[in-house]
Amino acid sequence: MELFTPDFGLIFWMFVAFAVLFLILWKFAWPVILKSVDSRADLIDKGVEYAQNAKLQLDDARRQADQYLAEARRQQADMLRDADRLKTQIIEEARSAASVEAQKVMDAAKVQIQQQQKEAEHQFRNQVSEFALDIAEKVVKNQMADKKAQTKLVNSLLDEIESKN
Amino acid sequence: MNRLYKIIAIVCALLTVSPMAFASAGDSKHDEGKLNPKEIIFEHLGDAYGWEVPFNHHKRIPLPVIVFGSDGLHIFSSSRISDGQEYVDGNTTFKLAGKESDFKGKVIEIVDGKEIRPFDISITKNVCGIFIVVIIVAGLMLWLRTFIVKNGYKAPRKGLGFLELLVDFIYTSVIKSTLGSKTSKFAPYLLTVFFFIFMMNLMGLTVIFPGGANLTGNIAVTLVLAILTFLVTNIFGTRHYWKEIFWPEVPLWLKFPLPIMPAIEIFGMFTKPAALTVRLFANMMGGHMIVIVLTLLIFIFAAVSPVAGGATTVISILFSIFMLLIDVLVSFIQAYVFTMLSTIFISLAQVEEEHHDKASETQQNENAITA
Repeated sequence: MELFTPDFGLIFWMFVAFAVLFLILWKFAWPVILKSVDSRADLIDKGVEYAQNAKLQLDDARRQADQYLAEARRQQADMLRDADRLKTQIIEEARSAASVEAQKVMDAAKVQIQQQQKEAEHQFRNQVSEFALDIAEKVVKNQMADKKAQTKLVNSLLDEIESKN
Repeated sequence: MNRLYKIIAIVCALLTVSPMAFASAGDSKHDEGKLNPKEIIFEHLGDAYGWEVPFNHHKRIPLPVIVFGSDGLHIFSSSRISDGQEYVDGNTTFKLAGKESDFKGKVIEIVDGKEIRPFDISITKNVCGIFIVVIIVAGLMLWLRTFIVKNGYKAPRKGLGFLELLVDFIYTSVIKSTLGSKTSKFAPYLLTVFFFIFMMNLMGLTVIFPGGANLTGNIAVTLVLAILTFLVTNIFGTRHYWKEIFWPEVPLWLKFPLPIMPAIEIFGMFTKPAALTVRLFANMMGGHMIVIVLTLLIFIFAAVSPVAGGATTVISILFSIFMLLIDVLVSFIQAYVFTMLSTIFISLAQVEEEHHDKASETQQNENAITA
């Protein structure tokens, strides 16, 4: 059967042809083509990965933004509350400080008034006693000119002291 | 679609009429050149020293005959020995061996009236076909290369896009997924094999001049491809691969004193390329043979009666078209299978110690495929 007996010439040329084809493609075509196929596959893989990452990051960023927003709102509320509290506190403090101050001023005024009163009383007393002594001196000068009257007075005074004891 | 149906109908009608006319008009001619289906089939499947011109059975494109006769190298055109002519070059006489000769259809040298087969490396039809395929494949791949160099990451469209898709398909899903880290070492060989076989298959299906040589349906061509895979497999085989052949992990009595398993393994080394050879050869030759036989049926029946010939024509043509379409698919599948099996054989020879389980698993797969 001629179909099943390989012909030497054909085998020889087949080897040559395949070797030539292989060398041409191996030298010029395959490195470039396979590199391109590989790098494109890599590029696509990377692109997909990048897109997935980007999506994750976007989701993350969105969540973070929401978080920040909520945080900011809470902080705002806190701050408002704090400010409110501070306001009342300050008012309260001011009020109390004012009343303390007023109290102090009043106390001081009272003390001063008392002092002045005392002083006035003291002066008044001194003057009164001065006047009294003057009057008494004059009275005494007028009445004690007479020996009898003097004796009568001494006696009455003595009586008085006696009766007291 | 309507137009397509019309065309098919017209072609069928023409084909129905023509053999009738041929049968009636050519009766006288038929007597001298009686239809010999076997001869026609083998002529179409086999090799030749010239390439038929379409629509003319007698004119052939002459191809160079290169022989080393008893007195050295002779190169002459195949047209000089066509139709049984004898060609005298110097002191040596060459002719095509007759039908009764042992070297039927080959160039023989006549020395003292005896036929001697010289050392023959002629550029026959098949060799020329192989060269054409080499030029086409190299051209296509260099075209793709030029495109890539020029356009970088831009994906090619249309024809080139399909070419790149094929490269990518074979490279990624056949070679890379099987060979893994060894891909870059063997991918050039395997891809070259795939495109070479695929293009040879397709050119074999093309009926007229640049095609029509039954390349992959020729056992010499498939044998060379299988031998190359055999060489690549065994030259690059790892130490573990050789250990698995000569000292496999089986009970001792299976390998000593009688080396039963090593013998089987060594036998297996050679059955792999044999399977590759025969599978591709038989598949492609079968496809060609079916189409030729279907076509010949027309003439066989036309010789019986014009009506039968007409009816057979329609059926034969439809079947032929169907078979040719299937053969296009088979062309791809066989190129794919050859590449895939080569990849598997090479990867089996790349086993390392730790991958042993995986390797035996692949071996089973491969056995399943071979079966």
